[in-house]
Parts: sequence; C-alpha cells; structure tokens
Amino acid sequence: MTRTTLILRSLRFHARTHLGTLLGAAIGAAVLTGALLVGDSVRGSLRETALARLGKTHLAAATGDRLFRPALAREILSSSETFSTAALALPATVNNGDGSARANRVQALGVDSGFWKLSGQPPCFGEIPADGVVLNAPLAAQLRAKVGDSVLLRVSRISQISRDAPLASQDNATAALRLKVHAIATDAELGRFSLQANQVAPFNAFVPLEQLQRAAGGANGANLILVGRESKDDTKPIAVTSKALAKDAAQQLRTFWKLADAQLELRVDITNGFIELRTPRIFLDLPVVAAATNAFPSARLIQTYFVNELRAGNRTAPYSMVTAAASPLVPAEMRDDEILLNQWLADDLRAAPGDTVALRYFSVGTARTLEERTNTFRVRAVVPLELPYADRALMPDFPGVAKAESTRDWDASLPIQAGRIRAQDDRYWKEWRGTPKAFVTLAVGEKLWSNRFGTHTAVRFPLPVGATGTNAFAALRDDVEAKLLATLDPASLGFRFEPVREQAVAASAQGQDFGGLFIGFSFFLIAAALLLVALLFQLGVERRSREVGTLLALGFTPAQIRRLLLGEGAAIALLGALLGAAGGVWYARAMLHGLSTLWSEAVGGAALRYHGATGTLALGVVASVMAAVATLWFALRKQVGQPARELLAEGNVESHATVDGAPKRSRGFVIGVVTLLLALTLSGWAFAAADVAAAGIFFGAGALLLTSSLAFTAAWLTRLARVSAAARLSLVSMGVRNAARRRRRSLATAAMLACGSFLVVSVGAFRLDENADAGSRASGTGGFTLLGESALPVVHDLNTPSGRDFFGLDAKSIEAVSFVSLRVRDGDDASCLNLNRAQRPRLLGVKPAAMEGRFTFAKLADGVPEKSPWKALNRGEFYPMHGQPLAVDEVAAIGDAASIQWALGKKLGDTIEFTDERGGAFKVRLVASLAGSVLQGSLLIDEAEFARRFPSEAGYRMFLMDAPSNRAADVSAALTRALSDVGLELAPATRRLAELNAVQNTYLSTFQVLGGLGLLLGSAGLGVLVLRNVLERRGELALLLAIGFRARALRRLVVSEHAVLLLIGLATGVGAALVAVLPVWFKPGAQPPPLSLWLTLGAVLVAGLVWTWGATMLALRGNLLDALRSE
Amino acid sequence: MSSQPLLLLDGVAKEYGTAAGPLRILENISLHVGRGESLAIIGPSGSGKSTLLQILGTLDHATRGRVTLAGEDITSLDERQLAAVRNRQIGFVFQSHHLLPQCTVLENVLVPTLATRSATTTAAQQRALRLLARVGLQDRLDHRPSQLSGGERQRVAVVRALINQPQILLADEPTGALDHASAVNLGQLLIELNREEDVTLIVVTHSLELAGKMQRVLRLEDGRLVEMK
Repeated sequence: MTRTTLILRSLRFHARTHLGTLLGAAIGAAVLTGALLVGDSVRGSLRETALARLGKTHLAAATGDRLFRPALAREILSSSETFSTAALALPATVNNGDGSARANRVQALGVDSGFWKLSGQPPCFGEIPADGVVLNAPLAAQLRAKVGDSVLLRVSRISQISRDAPLASQDNATAALRLKVHAIATDAELGRFSLQANQVAPFNAFVPLEQLQRAAGGANGANLILVGRESKDDTKPIAVTSKALAKDAAQQLRTFWKLADAQLELRVDITNGFIELRTPRIFLDLPVVAAATNAFPSARLIQTYFVNELRAGNRTAPYSMVTAAASPLVPAEMRDDEILLNQWLADDLRAAPGDTVALRYFSVGTARTLEERTNTFRVRAVVPLELPYADRALMPDFPGVAKAESTRDWDASLPIQAGRIRAQDDRYWKEWRGTPKAFVTLAVGEKLWSNRFGTHTAVRFPLPVGATGTNAFAALRDDVEAKLLATLDPASLGFRFEPVREQAVAASAQGQDFGGLFIGFSFFLIAAALLLVALLFQLGVERRSREVGTLLALGFTPAQIRRLLLGEGAAIALLGALLGAAGGVWYARAMLHGLSTLWSEAVGGAALRYHGATGTLALGVVASVMAAVATLWFALRKQVGQPARELLAEGNVESHATVDGAPKRSRGFVIGVVTLLLALTLSGWAFAAADVAAAGIFFGAGALLLTSSLAFTAAWLTRLARVSAAARLSLVSMGVRNAARRRRRSLATAAMLACGSFLVVSVGAFRLDENADAGSRASGTGGFTLLGESALPVVHDLNTPSGRDFFGLDAKSIEAVSFVSLRVRDGDDASCLNLNRAQRPRLLGVKPAAMEGRFTFAKLADGVPEKSPWKALNRGEFYPMHGQPLAVDEVAAIGDAASIQWALGKKLGDTIEFTDERGGAFKVRLVASLAGSVLQGSLLIDEAEFARRFPSEAGYRMFLMDAPSNRAADVSAALTRALSDVGLELAPATRRLAELNAVQNTYLSTFQVLGGLGLLLGSAGLGVLVLRNVLERRGELALLLAIGFRARALRRLVVSEHAVLLLIGLATGVGAALVAVLPVWFKPGAQPPPLSLWLTLGAVLVAGLVWTWGATMLALRGNLLDALRSE
Repeated sequence: MSSQPLLLLDGVAKEYGTAAGPLRILENISLHVGRGESLAIIGPSGSGKSTLLQILGTLDHATRGRVTLAGEDITSLDERQLAAVRNRQIGFVFQSHHLLPQCTVLENVLVPTLATRSATTTAAQQRALRLLARVGLQDRLDHRPSQLSGGERQRVAVVRALINQPQILLADEPTGALDHASAVNLGQLLIELNREEDVTLIVVTHSLELAGKMQRVLRLEDGRLVEMK
C-alpha cells in the first residue's frame, strides 16, 4: 500500500465525480495546446511559403543596375551539389491583351534553363519560346490571362548611368514586349520566386533571358546571381551551410570575375603611352578609384565635366568640356584658382595669361535638380591644341553626346539652350569633339564636381619608364587588370551574396507569434475551463469532507491531505491534458480555418495549413497540466481547513457552511460612490476633450463604472444580509436574500461575469477607424488624400510644370494637387500585413521638410525636437541624451510604432544593420515612431542620406498626395492614366490605413468571438455554484419541503437566487463596457457593436439560466427529506 | 496497570463564544488515566462527552487547562505535532466507521501508516493481517466497506485504530450505530484488545452495558466529571 495506491483508488472510486473536472481540464488543454499549434502552423506555413518562393536557392547577389556577364554565374560554384545561375530582374507592368486588366509592380525575370534547376520540381512547361512569357498564378489571375493569351510587358530600360543623373536620357525609359502566355507557373515551379520575406505572392513574369536583355537594352547582361544547392542530405544547420556557401561563392567570384563584370574597361593609348580605365557609367565608383590608386600609386586621375559657359569679360563660349587633372597634364605647381585654356578657347575669349575667366556649371542635387554655379579662375597659361591637351578621349562617353556628329545632334537631357551654340562651337565639335577647352587642378574638380555617382571619369596608368612596344602595353594591361581585380572587393560593387534562404527561414521562424496571440485571444476560454476545473474539483472535495476528516483523525496533516488530493487532481489534469491534446489539434484546425476565412485580414491573406510538431503537443500537455495543477493547488489552498470533528460530524456540509460575516458598515457603498463620481468626471472630461486621448479616457471611465457597480452590488448584498422584512417576504425575495448568505462567493460570481462581459464588449473601443479625422495632418493618413506607388521610378518632380509636362498632365486635372515624393529601397514589408519578421525593412528617402507637421508621433528618442520631430532625420539635428550626434555610419530613421515594435521587434534607440550599394555597412538608428500611420511597413530616412547610400536607386517610386477630397477620384484617374507607363497605382490613403487597421481590428474580433465562447463556458461555473450552494443547504431546503413548500417552489427559490447574480454580472459588465466604447459610437460612420457580440451575450444569459436550472434540478433530485433525517 | 499515568488532564475547560456570552461545556476537568486502563465516560446528550474525547484525541483544543499524554503536554503542540501524536499514539473509533469507500479492508487498515511514510512496511502489513484475523475478518481482506455489515465495518475501524500500536484507543459511541448483538460483540472485542494490545481504552457511550465492562466509569454532568466506578 502506497500513497499512490490511495490516490489511484480515490480516482477510480470518484471517477464519475471527476468527469466534470476532467472535461474542464481537457477543454483548457485543448485550447492551450490548440493555440500553440496555431503558432506552429503559422510558422510552418510561412516556412513552406518561404521555401516555395526560393526553391533550392541559398544565396543571392543582386547588383541592381550594374550588369555582369551571365557566364560569370555559371562559372562559380558549379558542382554536383551546388550550382549558380544568372537572371535579369527588372521592374515591370503588364497589361492583358485587350488592355482591360493591368498589373503594376510586376517583377520581370529574364531567365535561362539554369534558373529552373532551382525549382523544387522541374517545370512542366519546358523552355520558354522567344516570344513567350510564363506568368505566375497571381499575375495570371490579376490579368485574367490564360495560356495562349497575349500580354503586353513593359519594363524599365537599363541605363548605363543612373536616370537621376542629369545627363541621362529620359526618352525611351521603358520598353514594351508583346508576348504570348506560354504557361502559368505554380508555386512548386518557382511561381512565387522573390527575395523578399513576405507571405503574399508577388506578380512574376518569366521571360527568356536574351529576350529581356534585348528589350531592356542590357545586351548580354544580368543583375542577379542565384546560388542553389541540392539539400537531400542536409544535416548541418542552415546558418552553417549558408555561411560556408557564401564564403565559397565570394572566393570563386573573385577568381572568375572580370573587369567587364564591374562595368569597367581598359583602353590602350599607344600614342600617349598609357592605359586608361573608364566606365560606361561615366563616373568611376569610389572603390574602383581607391583600388586603382592603391595598386598603382603612379596612376593619374582624370575628371572631365560639362560646363555651361566660360566667360572672359563679355565674351563667352557655351557648353564645353573642362578637365581636372594632376601633373603632367596640369603643372604640379598650378594653384587651385588658376586655369589653363587651350589655344582655341583663348582665341575665342581673347583671353591671355593673367586674365580672369568665369566658369558656370551645373551642380547635381538630389533627384535631377541642377543648380547653376560660377567659379572664377585666373588664366595661368594658354596651351596648344595638340597632345597631350588635344585628347578627345578625356571626355567620357556621355550618352547622347559622345557619338553626336554635330552639336545639333546632342541628345543630352541637360537644359541646353541650342540657340547659344555658335557656328564656331559646332565646328570645334566636328573637328575636336569633346576635347577639353580648359584644365583645372584635380583638387578643384573634386571639390566642385563630385556628386553621388562618383568623382573621376578615368584613371590613366602610364607605361613604366623605358618600356616601349606592343608587348609592354600588353604586359601593363594584364598587370592593371590582375591587380585591379585582386584589389577590388566585388562586394563594394554590389556583388554581395546574401544568405536568402537562411534569412527566409529566420523571417518565418521569428515572425508574428500566433501561438502567443491565440493564447491571448483564448484567455477567457482557458480561464473559464480552469475555473470549471477548480470549481468542480472543489465541489468534489467538499462532498468528501468525511473522508478528509477521517484522514485528519488518523494523523494526516492538512498539508498531506492536500497533497493527496492534489495528486488526484494532477492525475485528472494529466488525463485531461492528453485528451485535450487531441482536441487541441481540432481547435487549431478550427482557428486556422477562421484565419483563412473569417479573420483572413489578420494574416494578410496567407495560405495557412496545419503543421503540428510533436514537441508542441508535448509542450501543450505539460503546460496544461501545470496550469491545471496550479489552479487546483490554488483551489485546495483553503480546503481541509475545517477541524476534523466538524468534517466527521453527520450533516457536516451544512455545519461548516456558515454565513459570511456581514460588516456593519458597508465599505462597498463608499467605494461605489467614489468610483461613480470619478467615472462621471472622466466621462465629462472625455466629452470636453474630444481628442485622440478620448478613447483611453472613456475606457478608464467604463472601468471605473464597472468597479462602482460591483461595489454597489457588494453593498447591496451586505444590506440584504442584515435586512429583516417579514412583511414583504416572498419566495423570490427569499431567494434573492439567499445570495447574501455567501456574500463573497456571490460577489465573485457576479464579478467574474461582469469583468468577462466588460472586456469582451469594451475591446471594441480599441477598434481603429481609418476615417477618424482623415483630413487632419495629425491623423494616420498624415492629411494626405492619395497614396501612390509606381513600378518604375519617376525621376521628374511632379510638383513642377516641367515634371507635369513630361507626363502630359494638364494643369486643370491636377489643380491644387501637391506631391511628396519618396525614394524606395526595396526590402521586407515591415507592416502587420507581413507575418514574417522583417529582416531588412524597406527604406524610404524623404525630404524631412516636406513631412513637417504630418502624422502624430507615438514616441520620440531622447534629444529629438518635440516641435518638429521630422528634423531628427537631418544629420546633425539629432542629439541623443549624451549630446552626441549620430556616428558617421549611422542614419536616423522614423518608422511606424507598429512596424518598430511588432514587425521589427525593436524599440526607439535601437539600430538595424544595412549594407549600402558599395557593400559598406551602415546602421539605421530609430529615432521616432509614428502612431498608426499609412507609412507602416517602411522606415523613413533623409533623402540626402538615401541618395548617398544608394546612388543608383534612381527616381521616386512612392508618392503621398494632397488633393481636394471631393476630387480625389478624378485626380486619381488622371494620374493613373498619365503615369501608366511607370505603373503608378493610386489608392485613397484611408483605404491603405483601413488595410493596416484591419489586422488589429480582426484581432479584436477574434478576441471577442473567443472571449464570448469563454464567457459561455464560464457561465457553466454558475451551475457548479448552484450545486455547491444547494448541497450545503440541503437540510434547510428539506425543512422547507417538510413544512409544506412544493418542490417546484424550492426550485424557483434556488433559480431566482442565482439568476439575479447572472443578471447583475452581465448588466454591470455590458453597461460599463458601453460607456467605454462611447467614442467609437460617436465617430462619423461608426458601426454599432456587431450582432454576433449581442448574440454571444444573449447566449451567455440563456446558457447561465440553463446551467442554473439544470444544476438546481440535479441538486434537488432524490429524496430531499433524507437530508432532514441526517440532521 | 502502571502506576505512571499515561493521560493527565489538569483543570481542563472548554467554552464556546456565543452572542449571549461564553457557553461553558467543560469546567475544570482533572483526570488521571493509567496505561492499559479501560475507562467509560457516560452522561446525557450535550453534556460534552464527545467534546472531552476530542480534546483527549487532539481533535479539539481546551480553552483552559493542560492535557499531558505520556508525559508530554499536548496542549502546547502545533498542528503538525498534534497530527503526529494522533497518528502514533492515539487510535480513534467513531460511531460511524468512516472507512474510505474506495479502499479495501486491508488498505483501510493500512491507511494510517501512510501518514509518516509513502509506502507501508511489511511489518505493518503483517500486523494488519494478524489483527484482522484476530477480529475474524481474515476472509474479507479484499472487500470494500460497502460489502461489509455494520459490525464488520466497525471491527475494521477498530483494527485501523490499532495499526500504529497506539498507547490509547478512543472510541466515541462505537456501538451507537449497531444492533444489539453486534454492539455486545464489539464491546467485548474492545475489552479483549485493550488487554491483548496493552492499549488504554477510553469509551464515550450512552450504553451502560458497554460502560459496565470498563474498569472505570465516569459520568459527565454539568461540565464536571464524577467517578462512578
């Protein structure tokens, strides 16, 4: 015989009594385990989606607008296990054949057969024909296209120089391809291919690589290297595999890459005896120049710039090239305020050494803004128009200029006034082309003409002294190439392998914790189940009081008996948890169904499938057992408190059911009055304040009203306990007065129902309303009417007449419309719509001044100016608490509070690591957060910082628009039409806000539904209370029967006693909650609480009454007079 | 009978607080009980017999006075120590058997041994078997209380009270719920076990027939004990 035997014997003997407890434990475990399984399933589904979008891809290097040879990808990591492929990824728009459907923000992918090796399953559509396109399913659905249909794909043409550069041509910025739909790629066929962590499938159009290269003008170039790996026998953690792969890939890239891959070329100049390094991108990247000068200290840097005018006195020469260089082109001792003129210019200006020459030129600002500046120089000398000065190769290959036969053929995008070009200028061009007419020191050139695209236009490597002949040039050329490739870090030019698979897996694993979320949503269900466990177990223990008394008399201590009972309870809890685990699977499936249908807005339309891990089931069981055991321990704490003699006495149940002592003076009344006054004061204040804080104030008032009502209930029960009203005695009033016998128990029951119904109803107060003050600059829309995103960049300023003219926008159609344009560096969507944890959020570059006064800030980091927080984005404006400015490698950023907290898991002051275009690491420091804004999902930084870090991200792709709200639709239509080539997609700002708000609002609905179910289950507790109360008073009720009351009258007595508690609880909770949600009701267009909520509360009332009635019938069944005999 | 008293009550009183003032149940009770003695306490209903027995059995506390068991003042012990005293030194038999319905006869007898250890010893089991055989229940070891007659259940309760070899056996109306024949038998059994097990027996009873079998009889009236025999 052991204590365990005793526990098992008791379990078996009291099995029927324990059934209710077991059921409660099973329900609690099912809900808890189910919630955890929902978390598993969301994570599993996200992982599945992440792997579907990447296929076998492990690494990716995206070089943006820098094109490399596709062969490079094939050369690296080619083995039986690993393979690489090149692709050309370009932003695009697609129209269906008849133009009736359109998709913007499409990813056009030029691929070859190597790409499909990354697919989990070989695609069934074979090779894509030259005039064919494979669409992914979402794109096909958007276009209503099927196999064989024709579509029009418009892609951004590849420009050698950034479209932001003033010299870049804006004509033919896009190219259109009419293609036939060859197939529709499924998810298993890489249809979802994307490098961004998002559960929402992108729009993908797969085109043969060569076809896309031809159309986009990027002959034989690619901008994406994808490294795949067969992972059949992967045993190592993905991080280890990715790290090793990335290291190998980077090493092999260094081995196989060529200057052409870096868009660099070497030109041999036999006449002048040097080799020149130049680039079709015009300006050499800083790392290239650094590598060249490090490898060859004798290398000569050249900078040739296009100037608007050279003036000496009243004579001018327009549009000329000026070269900045060092010795020997410019004398070493030449001062920075001196200039050399070639003979032609000196003659033209009639300038001589010692004269002053003014030089006017454009300085490049952000975007395509040009600012004309003037510098004056003193003529140091006039140089002959012969070598080395008469070197037309000093001019880089400016597109639209370099190949022009005549100045009239110039096709530069600069604002050139053709009328100013004289006949002699044209003759000079025809004879000497872009031969520089003047020379300044390199220091001057670097100071005046450096811009975000670079500084130098060429680097010249002279032949070593004494070396001559073709072989010497060949040797130098090989030496330069070898040393440059060895010195230059490919990562500094964008060849940086990102462990995309590792990032995708991490993003899905660290995504929104739906397990925790559903535990929160199911809080009431779990609490109600545990409450039932406690109540039913207590009831069972109370019915075994003689057994407890016997054990006490036999020498067991109360603690020992509690442990025995707890052991019994733990066994029930374990069994319940095991049963619950099975139920949890069902619960999880039900919740996933809810998330896929009713609550799909909470998951951004993600396709969720059930994924249950055994470990999670085990965790659910353990957690459920622990929760139930803790509950039982709490419930048993006060049990076994009666002396053995009382427990052993016949009719003991009644004997220890003493009436709670009623205090002579009720504190409840005082508390009730005070809290009621506070509630009224707060409500009045909230009405008067009528600001954004009103919702919080009303919620506080509601909570106070709830406290007040419960305090008055306590006072009423106290009064009932003391009242003597024989003259007004009725059966119902007797019942109601009985509620005062166990005052604390009655109050606890009413309070539980009140608090539950209050919370379930009042969470409606936190429902977000996108229309609230939508026109206000402080609202979530920032006062903007429209929000737009374009597939292709817009390089023009749409606020200027020239920008509007470019797109053919007539002034009337966009009258009173203004734009705030934002630069976009694509990254992970860090909004609540993305369930993955954003690893590298999207960056937006904005002019801080344009945002002044917009949006409401939720929080500011120390040192951020409260009056104009947007200024914190300006470098030097932000001084954190230690008075230190941002570090050189830091950039200040502002984001939406929800993005920062939930999507990024960060807080203000934290930093996020980024890599700029040149492979340099920098940190984005979060300095302020916006409250509930349309900008959720991205981080905003200063446009100047953006352009410095990402110079090749040309133009703007996001637009915030002020427009008269009554003309929003017309403005939207006009803009969409005019900017259709760049794929502008516009939406009312309130709609975007509504999409974001829908997540929180759906969470609230979920809480209300599950909370309502919890309340419904909790109402069963009322039945248990009836059983406990009646069993304690069986003798008394028997006496009433004995003196002539009918059984029906007794039932009415008992039901009335408990129904009043049910009504008080629900009425108090709902009443207080209605005050809390008042601000929601007062909003324009406010929706009343949903019908489902009222139905739930009605169901709770009905269920409570049914439980009460059922328990009364159960408790009063049998021969009640037996109880009298045992008295 | 030993000359050293096993149980000593010195000026024990018991009062209950009521709205009308203190209600005195026992007043200045002093009593010496020697080892191996048998003693009956009789008296009218409500005279405080059971209260006195519960004070002796540490189930209730005296309002005043001292109770010494085997030389130890049990009025100064805490609840945990009192439980140990009940378990090791005192055996109880109630008017109702209070057997655990979920346990067999043998298990019921062994339950008290679990208060001090998690499993029963072989010695305890052998003692239980011997005692059950002694009271004629050797064939009922695996029966549940519901399968026994009233007399049999009380005999199991007696054996359970003796399992830990207590020094004192307290019986509160042990025959009150039995028919006459069973009551006579149980009374006889108690006397025999008092002798065989060398256990002091104190019985509270209305039955003068049972009381007559005891060495001493005391009457409790108006809160005072009067030696009758």
